[in-house]
Amino acid sequence: MSDPLTQRLKSLVVNTLKLDGVRPEDIPDDEPLIGSPRFGLDSIDALELVLSLEKEFGLKIGSSEESRKALASVGALAAYIRSRQKVA
Amino acid sequence: MTAERFIHHVAVEQPDPAETVIGARERLRDRFPRTALRRMTHLGLMLGSTLDGARLGPEDALVYASTFAETRALEDYLNGFPAASPLLFQTSIHPGGIQQVLIGRQQSLARLWPMAGRDRLVEHALLTALLEPAARAAVAGGEERGTWMLDHQMAADRPFAFALVLTRESAGALGQVRFETADAGEGNGPSLEEFARGLADRRAMVWTGGGGAWSLDWR
Amino acid sequence: MNAPAETCSLGIEACDCLTPFGDADATAAALLAGARALELRPVLGRDGGDLVPLALIGSMDETLPARWLGEVRRLAGALPPGPWGLAHAPVVVTSSNFGVGSLYAFTRDRDPRHIAHGTPYAAVEAIRRELGWGPQVHVFSHACVTAHLGLAQASRLVQAGLAERVLVFSFDFVSPFVAGGFHSLKILNGEMPAPYAQRETGSIGLGDGAAFAVISKAPSPTRLSAHAFHNEMFHFTGNQPDGAGFRACPEAIAAVTKGRRVWIKGHGTGTLEAGRLEAEAVASVFPGAPLVSWKGSLGHTLGSCGLVELAITLAALRRGRIPGTVGGRTPSFADNIALQPFDPGAFDGAVLSSNAFGGAHAALLLDTSGA
Repeated sequence: MSDPLTQRLKSLVVNTLKLDGVRPEDIPDDEPLIGSPRFGLDSIDALELVLSLEKEFGLKIGSSEESRKALASVGALAAYIRSRQKVA
Repeated sequence: MTAERFIHHVAVEQPDPAETVIGARERLRDRFPRTALRRMTHLGLMLGSTLDGARLGPEDALVYASTFAETRALEDYLNGFPAASPLLFQTSIHPGGIQQVLIGRQQSLARLWPMAGRDRLVEHALLTALLEPAARAAVAGGEERGTWMLDHQMAADRPFAFALVLTRESAGALGQVRFETADAGEGNGPSLEEFARGLADRRAMVWTGGGGAWSLDWR
Repeated sequence: MNAPAETCSLGIEACDCLTPFGDADATAAALLAGARALELRPVLGRDGGDLVPLALIGSMDETLPARWLGEVRRLAGALPPGPWGLAHAPVVVTSSNFGVGSLYAFTRDRDPRHIAHGTPYAAVEAIRRELGWGPQVHVFSHACVTAHLGLAQASRLVQAGLAERVLVFSFDFVSPFVAGGFHSLKILNGEMPAPYAQRETGSIGLGDGAAFAVISKAPSPTRLSAHAFHNEMFHFTGNQPDGAGFRACPEAIAAVTKGRRVWIKGHGTGTLEAGRLEAEAVASVFPGAPLVSWKGSLGHTLGSCGLVELAITLAALRRGRIPGTVGGRTPSFADNIALQPFDPGAFDGAVLSSNAFGGAHAALLLDTSGA
């Protein structure tokens, strides 16, 4: 069972990217999010997600390289947000 | 100079003016990969529909004509400031409408000629296709209906799209496009929408401009 | 199988550009001196935001009439006499932005006077009226390869005998619309661009630019010799990872260079993936040929970059010195990146290339043997 932050992130992914027929619980914690043929998400989706994350969590992600690392998986994203919230 | 090409594919989309992108997505969903459909705009969906069966290859060319292009993405992108959406920015850039279709189908091309403009847009798009050395040159175009930009005459008031494929092969052609240089002056050519309606109705078209006489005839 | 290059031998009767440094000659001189027009400025102009590298002629904030109209008029002062816009002397306008800054200004201020320049048609019509052109104004817009399409179309019109001379006119002026967009793509960030440099973070700059060229069969010391295009349609912002898309145009041009010794003016915006693929493709197709990019100084002038950089190339040839990759540094993605200015005397050709969203690629070959 995912923790509340991970669940919140999965809902954000589904809603932001308008994933037709995908439920938040269908998204695994540790599988690559971008480039997975299962969801058909690409780098533009990643950037759109970054925009939502910046709004939702008050973050600032500076470069495409940083966003790529942060969005490696939902689990990686949750860890990234926790680390940034600690810094703040 | 006389240039002539034969028409081997024609398709026109003229949906109900009130059709929404959601309606178009539902109507045309079988024509696109599921993963591509999610992000497609109304114009992209209609263009994709008209290019079904165009049989373009990587050495072919496509001329894409639109006066207002990705109106809704443009409107929504502007509405989103100061939080600019990367997807809407990307989609709003001409020729996003046709690129959605070609990327969704992984259809590489030698040359893509995206054109803007208005009064002589059809004439210039056809001339660009006639000057193409490619064996098959498609001419596609269209508009989607705007909202607040329409209120300021910066968008089309009804959605439409068309595509035709021109080749040098007379056999089996549906018609032909011809340009002949002449001392003919600048007449009134068809607007993009009139051209689409003419294709749908298989109506012959003649006009002058660009230093010559134009004709589109059907067999 | 990729399409072959289209060959031609056409004169460039006149060619000039406008950048923050001034005309083509002033720009070439500034680049030769290693000057950088890019400065860190707020991404949304007076609306603020992060500081990003922009090379602007004046302020980015939109004005009434549109801020680019005065600059276009200034550049047009260098145009040879027409009459332009008639069938035998058509104009090909190329732009990626047109008057989109006016649309942004309208949504911000709600002043309806901005609308007069808000669409591509309206922007071109404003220029057409301002400069007294006739109705034969072709308009192309294909992001950052746009100007190459204009030059190729002009070549075809002259080659086919439909026009005696063609004026290709490009303009792209930065606005919050486009700066905000590239910032959202995270490639316009707080770093200055370093084209072709291997580093942790990629970044581009954006710049104002306008240019023109008059193409005809008339004799000229530098001639347009070939055009090549390729459209990957692999992804909106990504390229085929094996670099096949980046090799298509260099290979097509190499097939018609006929033993010419060429140098290459690349696209080189400062992004990492595209920079690496481009540098590797050029190094493999034109081994040893110097590769330069000027976007580390001027920023990316988007749809007009192909024509702005052609004008700078011609000015540099007249000066007898080609600017190096301003802002570039080692380690680079390939050994052939020219960081310093070099003498064009050892070459009799130049390849000018541009790339765009959607995996669009364009290149042209200049015969510089008479330069």
